[in-house]
Amino acid sequence: MILNVDLASDVPIYQQIRDRIVEAIADGVLTEGSPLPATRALAADFGVNFHTVNKAYDLLRQQGLVRLNRKTGAVVTPTVADPPFRAEWTARARTLLAEAVAKGLPADGVLKTCESVLSSFGSDLSEGTP
Amino acid sequence: MTIAIALSSGVSALMLVLFLVLPSVSSPTVPFGVRVPAQRVDDPTVRGQTRIYRWRVLALGMVSAVVGVVIYGLTGKPFLLPLPVLMVVGVWFGCYFPANHKIRVAKTAGSWYEGLHEGIAVDTELRTDPPRFPWLWLAPALIVTVATMVIGVITYPSMPEMLVVHHGANGAPNRLAAKSVGTAFSLVFLQMGMTALLAGFAAGIFFGSRSDIDPGRPVSSARWHRRYMSLGAKALLGLAAMIDVGMMSSSLLMWTGTVISWAPLVVALPILVAVVVAVVVLARNNFTRDEDEEVTGLTHRDDDMYWRGGLFYVNPEDHALVVPRRFGLGWTLNFGNPWAAMLLVAVVALAGLLVTLRFGG
Repeated sequence: MILNVDLASDVPIYQQIRDRIVEAIADGVLTEGSPLPATRALAADFGVNFHTVNKAYDLLRQQGLVRLNRKTGAVVTPTVADPPFRAEWTARARTLLAEAVAKGLPADGVLKTCESVLSSFGSDLSEGTP
Repeated sequence: MTIAIALSSGVSALMLVLFLVLPSVSSPTVPFGVRVPAQRVDDPTVRGQTRIYRWRVLALGMVSAVVGVVIYGLTGKPFLLPLPVLMVVGVWFGCYFPANHKIRVAKTAGSWYEGLHEGIAVDTELRTDPPRFPWLWLAPALIVTVATMVIGVITYPSMPEMLVVHHGANGAPNRLAAKSVGTAFSLVFLQMGMTALLAGFAAGIFFGSRSDIDPGRPVSSARWHRRYMSLGAKALLGLAAMIDVGMMSSSLLMWTGTVISWAPLVVALPILVAVVVAVVVLARNNFTRDEDEEVTGLTHRDDDMYWRGGLFYVNPEDHALVVPRRFGLGWTLNFGNPWAAMLLVAVVALAGLLVTLRFGG
């Protein structure tokens, strides 16, 4: 998996690393059980402090996307969306969609963008739906 | 003498050819050790400096090689033997540095990085599924070294009482030493040292290196990097095997008391062949970069501040021991890493051993 970090972006590097890994899981590039590099190795490859990578991995762990293990390192875990996550995610989606409406994007255009982004993810979406 | 002159001229000529093709086999985004954005690889300054560099290397390099060979030929001093090669290297730096400087000035003056998105790309699979170290390639060097040692042990009683430990430039033996384990097996010790050193470098590529992936074309760049690691390690292990072959042949001559006029070639030829093959293989890999990838819009970050003169990598914050060379072939040490200093000491010690064996005493 290629992890790209944009140094000119306002988004902090740990957030970018976390976002790229979430996208890779959605894309099916990373599947259940896929290992992630050790914190220090990844930090060395990026040339950043290992706390930065630690922070990204910790975010992923809090969201239940990876399991951190002293022996095996970080591993992608299977996840089920629980009700609190749904509520929190809906709140974030609300802000994102509000930005589109506030900027005057037409509703059907916004919907189309959502659909095309969803269908661009390579992983099997039907699995997660109850 | 003739053989020494031929060897020296041959090595100088090979280095000249290498220096002439260097700009073509180095990454186009690092012309003369200056990091430039992909949009600027065909900038008039870069093209102009490449042209000037080639002409200078060709003209000055040939002149200096000839002068060096003539000086050596007239004086016949053995320590002047590397002179032509050293002069060609000196001329190369004299041609490289102005080009590096001019491009750096143009880059700063034109703010080439303004408005670009600098990024870093990492291929996590290089860590989670790293390429395998080519262990099998270590076998030839080990086999040759062990075979030399075994032959030496078996034939030790029948070796002449006085051993030829040094040949003059004309191939005639000019120094003898009484038979002892130290003199008889001197080249075997050298074999062991060289094999360990080069295998250590190969291991450094695999276990102590950092990839340098172009964020503009990360997928093909990561693929290239994998091949480069493997080729680099194989080239080093192959070189170790060929050096060992040279030492083995030279030991056999010494142990049997055989005197031939082309004794220096026995050592030099296998090493030269190995170096030429390694250079050609690495250069070919650099030359054939696949370009069929969608660009990401990111540009490699400007890391010139870590590269002194565009050639020496000094970054104490980088834990990597070796990184791919930016201009030229192969890998280079991170001189900001404390281990690099220790490695350098080891190399200098080995070179010292070599010099004392050949010229000392």
